[in-house]
Amino acid sequence: MSETITDPRSADSNAGAAAVQQMSMQQALNRALDEILADNPKAVIFGEDCGRLGGVFRITDGLQAKHGEDRVFDTPLAESGILGMSVGLAMAGFHPIPEVQFDGFAYPAINQIVCQIARMNYRSRGTLPMPITLRVPSFGGIRAPEHHGESLEALFAHVPGLKVVSPSNPHDAYHLLKYAATRPDPVIFMEPKSRYWQKGPVDVTSAAAIPVTAAHDDGTAHGGSLTGARVAREGRHLTLVAWGAMVARCLQVAELAAEDGIDIEVLDLRWLKPIDADALARSVGKTRRAVVVHEAPLTSGLGAEVAQLITQSCFATLKAPVERVTGFDVPYPSGDLEDEYIPNIDRILFGIQRVLEYRRG
Amino acid sequence: MAEISFPLPDLGEGLIEATVLDWLVEAGQQVERNQPIVELETSKSALELPSPQAGKVVRIHGAPGDTINVGEPLIVFEVPDDTAGIVGTVPKDEAPKRRVRLSAVLDED
Repeated sequence: MSETITDPRSADSNAGAAAVQQMSMQQALNRALDEILADNPKAVIFGEDCGRLGGVFRITDGLQAKHGEDRVFDTPLAESGILGMSVGLAMAGFHPIPEVQFDGFAYPAINQIVCQIARMNYRSRGTLPMPITLRVPSFGGIRAPEHHGESLEALFAHVPGLKVVSPSNPHDAYHLLKYAATRPDPVIFMEPKSRYWQKGPVDVTSAAAIPVTAAHDDGTAHGGSLTGARVAREGRHLTLVAWGAMVARCLQVAELAAEDGIDIEVLDLRWLKPIDADALARSVGKTRRAVVVHEAPLTSGLGAEVAQLITQSCFATLKAPVERVTGFDVPYPSGDLEDEYIPNIDRILFGIQRVLEYRRG
Repeated sequence: MAEISFPLPDLGEGLIEATVLDWLVEAGQQVERNQPIVELETSKSALELPSPQAGKVVRIHGAPGDTINVGEPLIVFEVPDDTAGIVGTVPKDEAPKRRVRLSAVLDED
């Protein structure tokens, strides 16, 4: 494969046309869950409105009718109960796939997530693993009220025992969810809700075919590997590091920067715990400049962790300190103000300009 | 397409009903979220009610002078099936806009 796929939405559909289907992230996640239920008789899906309604975002649509009320069911409006029940089900040998309806509703279940799910395996010396895939519709961008637009990745990533992943496109969403649901460890699966409706090519036969560029194919079964980051766009001058909904925005920024003669690489981290430090080193080792973009507030956000990992591997060759373009250190605003809060194209371009202008004093 | 019925909300202070003064939209009209849709009068005040969502108006309930109880249907919208459901709206896929231009002298050492 000689060409770099810059964005799965624009991928050449002639390549493996039969296997590649256009679908939204909603549809890709729905199909993945359907197949997980079919493949693993111990998998169970539950949450608020997950059953009869099919989820407020239609991710579990039709699954209860197809797989039965014992495997896909509604819960009371109590996240502590949803996650507490997941602990018991996991102890009894099930693979729970609970849903917290919105990011901001994970807070009532923090005790169950941090004190039970994350450390039961450790506490029991490996006799009680917690194979739980917690789906959390995450981040902002849909003009929703309070508690419906938050970015909790740094909270989750800070907790030993949890893994955290966020897909940016339908193809990754399909494959990463299926992969997460085979893990013996708890995985927090953060779905970028503002990207639910955008369609893109999904190759259900191969995780590698669409999003992973040939340049970073490490020879594993998944090309760039489902456990690592992916280069969403190759470039020479600067690396934009992003995840979730910010990947699409960074790809737009890269196209605009190209008009100004700046060749930008976009690295889609995908996994936020553990972070693919090797991919960061490869990319920034080449470009020597980096800007991290996330929706979460600045202070103690994951951008700080990414900046440190880059500094660790690329300190000697970096042209400038790693910049961060993020949300602000305020509670997530109401929908009317979220365009001012979420990093927009101009704020990202300003961040890029600061890095380009930096000179050692 | 799906229909979503919006009942008269609690307008505050424990009021249980409101009288329609004037409808600002009509059936068949496309409305935006937060667009004023109806003027109502309660025993405390007259007010404009903003639309809870975007969509096409299918039906309005109550002619000017009619009284509607809190919780009774006020207006019915038609919305595409792929709306966000209970909360939020589907973001538009807009062409990227910029005001900032990059300028840099890149030493390629």
